[in-house]
Amino acid sequence: MADATIEVQALTKNYGPHRAIDDLNFTINKGEVVGFLGPNGAGKTTTMKIITGFMAPSSGSVKVAGFDVFEDPLEVKKRIGYLPETPPVYGDMSVESYLKFVAKLKGVANDRIHDLVEMSIKKTDLFSVRKRLIQNLSKGYRQRVGISQALVSDPEVLILDEPTVGLDPRQVAEVRSLIKELAGKHTIIISTHILPEVQASCQRIIIINRGKIVAQDSIDRLSNRMSSSGRVHLRVVNVLPSLLKTLSGAHGVVGIRQPQADLFEIDTDGTKETAAQLAAHVVSSGAGLFEMRQESFNLEDVFLKLTTSEEQQGVVV
Amino acid sequence: MRGAFVIAGRDLRGLFVSPLFYILTGICAIVWSFQFYFLVNQFVSQSMMQMMQQGQNGEGLNLHFTVMFRHISTVNLMMIFAVAALTMRLFTEEKRQRTFDLLLTSPVTASHIVIGKLIAGTLTAWALIAVSLLYPISMAFFGKLEWGPLIASYIGLMLMAALYVSVGMFASSLTENNVLAVVMGLIFNVMIWFLGVMGEVAESATQRAISDHINISTHFMSFLKGQPSLAAIVFFLSVIGLFTFLTQRVVESARWR
Repeated sequence: MADATIEVQALTKNYGPHRAIDDLNFTINKGEVVGFLGPNGAGKTTTMKIITGFMAPSSGSVKVAGFDVFEDPLEVKKRIGYLPETPPVYGDMSVESYLKFVAKLKGVANDRIHDLVEMSIKKTDLFSVRKRLIQNLSKGYRQRVGISQALVSDPEVLILDEPTVGLDPRQVAEVRSLIKELAGKHTIIISTHILPEVQASCQRIIIINRGKIVAQDSIDRLSNRMSSSGRVHLRVVNVLPSLLKTLSGAHGVVGIRQPQADLFEIDTDGTKETAAQLAAHVVSSGAGLFEMRQESFNLEDVFLKLTTSEEQQGVVV
Repeated sequence: MRGAFVIAGRDLRGLFVSPLFYILTGICAIVWSFQFYFLVNQFVSQSMMQMMQQGQNGEGLNLHFTVMFRHISTVNLMMIFAVAALTMRLFTEEKRQRTFDLLLTSPVTASHIVIGKLIAGTLTAWALIAVSLLYPISMAFFGKLEWGPLIASYIGLMLMAALYVSVGMFASSLTENNVLAVVMGLIFNVMIWFLGVMGEVAESATQRAISDHINISTHFMSFLKGQPSLAAIVFFLSVIGLFTFLTQRVVESARWR
């Protein structure tokens, strides 16, 4: 699907002299689930607030479903369900009356309110507390009421700011499967600094650091690209003095280290042929191949690599 | 406009669910009861005295001006405090609970939010005024009331309450702190009452003419006398409009901060 639901162009926001986000550009297609990843204070929440029309940017533009957020804010807001960092719930209302209120506020037609409220209670599993006052609910339930509230108008776009904060592991798993279930029908942006969350539920990630996009790609490709350095770990049974020389002379080997007597860390050109050749060398030398593995970066490494280096120039996708 | 009514409905619920309204009503009722009992007693003893001294049948004293007038003035005085307390939470609570985020990301304009809250606050203040109407009504069983001036007075009181609501709402929109909102609301209300006093110390005729026109006391008095002037109605609606507009600007500015 090529039609972009959310288009962000040259988005910049200054808080006084502090630049919270700097020249963001990205598009999100219909039905996509995108993880918005970054350390605390990277500008995730600011970006989300601007997309929802809660806040105005210093410059740049945002379009949701073809409507400009600043020229047609009401049209945009009708199409967005937003869960802020703190669930926006009224303590003095019951879960059910609160959801009805939100549905009305979002402009849902009267004859659909009942069905949508039931649907969102069902999806977030709030049956047991539907008549209770929100102020008496635990943090986890409040968070679920918050998610429910974002769903209740059946919006095209769901923007969830750290949706699993405060939930227990089982509920976290439920929310993740809920997000998967909603994918395709809704376009979803999830912000988080919890990496497994992104891996579990997103198709694509945008990594943001200090207000700039440092990477955006699918999770697999991002991990692949980062691991292309091709470092091979090799452990042998018999330590032969000649082995180090043999291996370093092999085709495709860039560098070699021997941190322990029986362990070699070999930087290669990353091709499978080189790895096969290395294995052949070890076997033929009689050292006895005990373990061989290619070092693979997980998302965490990618994230740390992208967000900790000084003066990151941004990875060209 | 649907958004405004949805918000008004929720806020009305919130105002009536909280104990605050009932506590305020209770306090006001105690004050009014003592005051009204005192006023009626005084009226009776004065009428008696007049009857004894002059041999008249006691019809010389005007019930409206001796009892109702002062009762309504007390109601007005209490409303300054009660409405400031009622309206303090209109915006501070939304900001504290972060539900302001929900309102601002919903398909409603800042004007809808503010008008919704004005409606809710005004209706609640009117409910409080309705309680004060019990005293004149109870009086109607024992004496002959002048309904015309009484109704005019209550219309004036309703406009006055709406004015206090708009002022309190504005104070509430400026801060996240309930106490600060009440204090600011009170100060603004008292300031409006003192604006008219400027006329007494004014030097030039122009100054005096201006302060006469913004003298809330004379405008309110025209209702109490049973002859509301058009200028008074326009004055009240303008001040309500002004503070509603100011609140709308404050709410709108949340997007730019």
